Amino acid sequence: MIPWLRGMSARQLFGLITLALILVLLSLFLFSPPDGNERTQLLQFFGRFHPLSVHLPIALLMLVPLLELAGRNRRFPYLLSAVDFVLGVATCGAIATVALGWLLARNGGYSGPLVTQHMWGGLFVAAAAWLCWFLRGNISTEVVTARKRQLYAATLVATVGLVSFTGHRGGQLSQGENFLTEFAPAPIASLLALGDTGDAPKNSPNGGANTFYGAQIQPLLDQHCVTCHGRSKHKSNLRLDNFEAVLRGGKHGPVVKASDLKESELFRRITLPQADDDFMPPDNKRPISAADVKLIEKWIAAGASGTLAANAIKDLPSTVSNPVAEVTFEEIDPAAVAKQRASLASAVTQLQQKFPNLLDYQSRASADIVVSASWLGAKFGDNELAALAPLSDRIVSADFSSTAITDKSAGAIAAMKHLRNLRLMHTKTGDTTLQALGPLDQLETLSIFDTPATSIALSTLARLPKLQHIYAGGTKLSDNQSMPQEVRNKLVF
Amino acid sequence: MKDFSTPKSRQSGLELLLELHPERKLVALQAQTRRHFLQSVSGGLGSIFLGTIASSNPAFAAAAKLATDGTPRLDLTRDEKNPLAALPPQFAAKAKRVIYLHMAGAPSQLELFEYKPELIKLDGQECPASLLAGKRFAFITGVPKLMGPQYPFHQVGQSGHWISDRLPHLERHLDELCFIKSMRTDQFNHAPAQLLMQTGNARMGYPSLGSWVVYGLGTENQNLPGFIVLISGGNTPDGGKQLWGTGFLPSVYQGVQCRSHGEPVLYLDSPKGVSVSERRNVLDTIDELNQKQYAEFGNPETVTRIAQYEMSFRMQMDATDAMDIHKETEATRTKYGSKPGESSFANNCLVARRLAERGVRFIQLYHWGWDSHGSNAGDSLNFGFVKRCQEVDQPIAALLSDLKDRGMLEDTLIVWGGEFGRTSMRENRSGQVTKFTGRDHHPGAFTIWMAGGGVKPGITHGQTDDLGYEIVKDPVEIRDLHATMLYILGFNHHKLNYSFQGLDQKLTSVKPARIVSEILA
Repeated sequence: MIPWLRGMSARQLFGLITLALILVLLSLFLFSPPDGNERTQLLQFFGRFHPLSVHLPIALLMLVPLLELAGRNRRFPYLLSAVDFVLGVATCGAIATVALGWLLARNGGYSGPLVTQHMWGGLFVAAAAWLCWFLRGNISTEVVTARKRQLYAATLVATVGLVSFTGHRGGQLSQGENFLTEFAPAPIASLLALGDTGDAPKNSPNGGANTFYGAQIQPLLDQHCVTCHGRSKHKSNLRLDNFEAVLRGGKHGPVVKASDLKESELFRRITLPQADDDFMPPDNKRPISAADVKLIEKWIAAGASGTLAANAIKDLPSTVSNPVAEVTFEEIDPAAVAKQRASLASAVTQLQQKFPNLLDYQSRASADIVVSASWLGAKFGDNELAALAPLSDRIVSADFSSTAITDKSAGAIAAMKHLRNLRLMHTKTGDTTLQALGPLDQLETLSIFDTPATSIALSTLARLPKLQHIYAGGTKLSDNQSMPQEVRNKLVF
Repeated sequence: MKDFSTPKSRQSGLELLLELHPERKLVALQAQTRRHFLQSVSGGLGSIFLGTIASSNPAFAAAAKLATDGTPRLDLTRDEKNPLAALPPQFAAKAKRVIYLHMAGAPSQLELFEYKPELIKLDGQECPASLLAGKRFAFITGVPKLMGPQYPFHQVGQSGHWISDRLPHLERHLDELCFIKSMRTDQFNHAPAQLLMQTGNARMGYPSLGSWVVYGLGTENQNLPGFIVLISGGNTPDGGKQLWGTGFLPSVYQGVQCRSHGEPVLYLDSPKGVSVSERRNVLDTIDELNQKQYAEFGNPETVTRIAQYEMSFRMQMDATDAMDIHKETEATRTKYGSKPGESSFANNCLVARRLAERGVRFIQLYHWGWDSHGSNAGDSLNFGFVKRCQEVDQPIAALLSDLKDRGMLEDTLIVWGGEFGRTSMRENRSGQVTKFTGRDHHPGAFTIWMAGGGVKPGITHGQTDDLGYEIVKDPVEIRDLHATMLYILGFNHHKLNYSFQGLDQKLTSVKPARIVSEILA
């Protein structure tokens, strides 16, 4: 061994080795930064331990100020003696984590400003931790000036700040840019000026409504891409919900290269054969139509500009894009549904046991009730209808056709205030029932086919704001001029 | 498993009777075949192992409730005694029931709804080779000649749909119809094409559309089957009874074919001299035997059997009433063109309306004889086709009008169509010019229409080329149609599935299906 090394204390040796490692990492960062290309899978495997190992140095560095503060209290003076050790371990942890992070970023095909910031943040954290350790060591071994103590304190505060910043950037990388603040309450969001988090920078000249990008390209991206590459979800760290984001690209680097279709990954992906694994939009989503692909092609060929005027590109494909959205399904949250149903569930179960197949929820996601009594025929009368009273408020659709109900049920039906569809056909319900329907301001369709109804009740029905159709065939009603026009339009014979 | 050691006082008479036979136990043991033994041994060992994992790992139990894609399964379990119980749809449904009018044989879209003026100009010219390259036909050989529409077309209503002069009654409802003119199939023979249309698969053994729907939604009216099939035209469709079969679903969900005159279902009535209470007694005893059988073997088909006996008992009253078109007024029957006692499409349409009013979930009408090849008068566009049009035109119009009057068109989905289309060329069977005109089978493009709940009225989706031969815009696969129909009924087609042979089987099969959002109201 080199003689001067032999003369060093273990502490000095530790300091020297860790510093050397930090410098090695610095040179790696400078000379082989992550560039968006994927490399060795084995190193990626190790690299993926980065998110795991990261928590140790973070926790330790956050612990140090706590130890320092608590140690000042007379009850815990012994805590102070642990600080040096904790800082040493934190420094090692930080170095290891940074190294793993570099492996991940370099080999896993990461790139972009977020990655760069996070990477350098990490290195600075390691360096700052080392510095803290170094300064703290001086304090504990020598008689020091107040100035040195202040320097240490300032470094420590800066380190905590750096850890927070770097940690946050890392969180954004893995969880999405606005994961932390997406559901921030409005006052906090406005305080932090989060309204436009990650969205297009304000006052950006790019992508306005009268630019080609704003008028033609963004709507296409909104229609086809942003469900996966948008504000709340950005697969491959790619966002396509504003011009700046489109140019920034994703974890594999830029996706659009001005005037160069071959090098524009976005264009390549949408023009692959549909069966290709890389084809976008993936799976069974609707492909971008040929005409719309042409639009994107023209835009990139013309320089992929955000300010190009909307009418600058001539000979556009004539067919307009299809405005109909694809059907998507939301996963039902059973807990939320159960919560909605909580107040009526027992009444529903009771009635279902009493009258099987008479009523049910409108859907598995709903707490609204649908009643189908028609198949019970004469077995369903006024008494049975009265039994529905506990659920009146939640019934949105009721089919009483061909049952034995009469005008005696008028009040019970009128109590179903949220009814949207009501069928009374082939029953003995007449004008009394219809005149009682005044409170049903949600009613959209009403079938009184083959009932004793006459025109007396029309004035009540005319006042129902949402009523669209009254099916009145087989009644004494018939189309005539004397009816109020607003009712006449709704009557179907 | 039913416990055989129940106290004597609680045992039924039948069990007591069996107890008297010393051989009873032996018989029960003999019922345990080697197959059962091996099954329970291997299955038992496996379940012991799985049981230890499951009990220690709650995630394992939770995973059982997940589908293969990791999302929660749709829970379609019902009380065993009540396999047809109504269940709410997954999402708010636009339609509660379906009336499917299948024109077996495949009606010519080019003589009904597909107006192709270019084809008039090219009538009689030889078909360009480009249209024939790589194509297979059922009967066309060599180079056939293009053939223009055989009947004049005109535009109707606000929607401006084109229609030929063959359907004058339906014409009045054209603004309510939603056409898909870009349907395509990969089958060019009737039976497999019908199977594909009705079961999502060209081979036998898959559950039909109606079975899936009844499996998913059940049926409210327990006195009638949830899935009823009515046939007219003097022949069962080529696809046979598999068209309303259940495949691997429990057979309680299969379509029940009813006759449109006389007894709707044969042998539903009690035999002469047998009273209702006697009948009930017999059924109770059979029921008890079946329950025993089920307890012993656990075969779900036994439950089906029990449910069918019970339903047939309840149907004695209701089915006869629902099918009895005598109960309609003379005016209504005239509107449909229906004559009681006949086996006609008109009668079936009227019955379909009566069934819809009674809450039957899926009503399937087959009309036969649309296979207009032109090989004889009966299957020609000049004669047989004209007759078929007359047979269905007025009843369909009357059905649409009746449902509309009652407000039922709002939640009833009506689908009309065949199993494939017909060629833009005149059929030249055996290279001959036939005496009658006809067209060959054409899987590449055909037209269907839908009406009622959930679909946009008065629109056309999809487009074919100037000859009506190839689809040029928005092709719709049959699985897309099925996914769309299930969506209208409140289902995500991925979720309406049944585990069989290691796969979460579904109507739309494994290829990706697209919900045709353009036609949704």
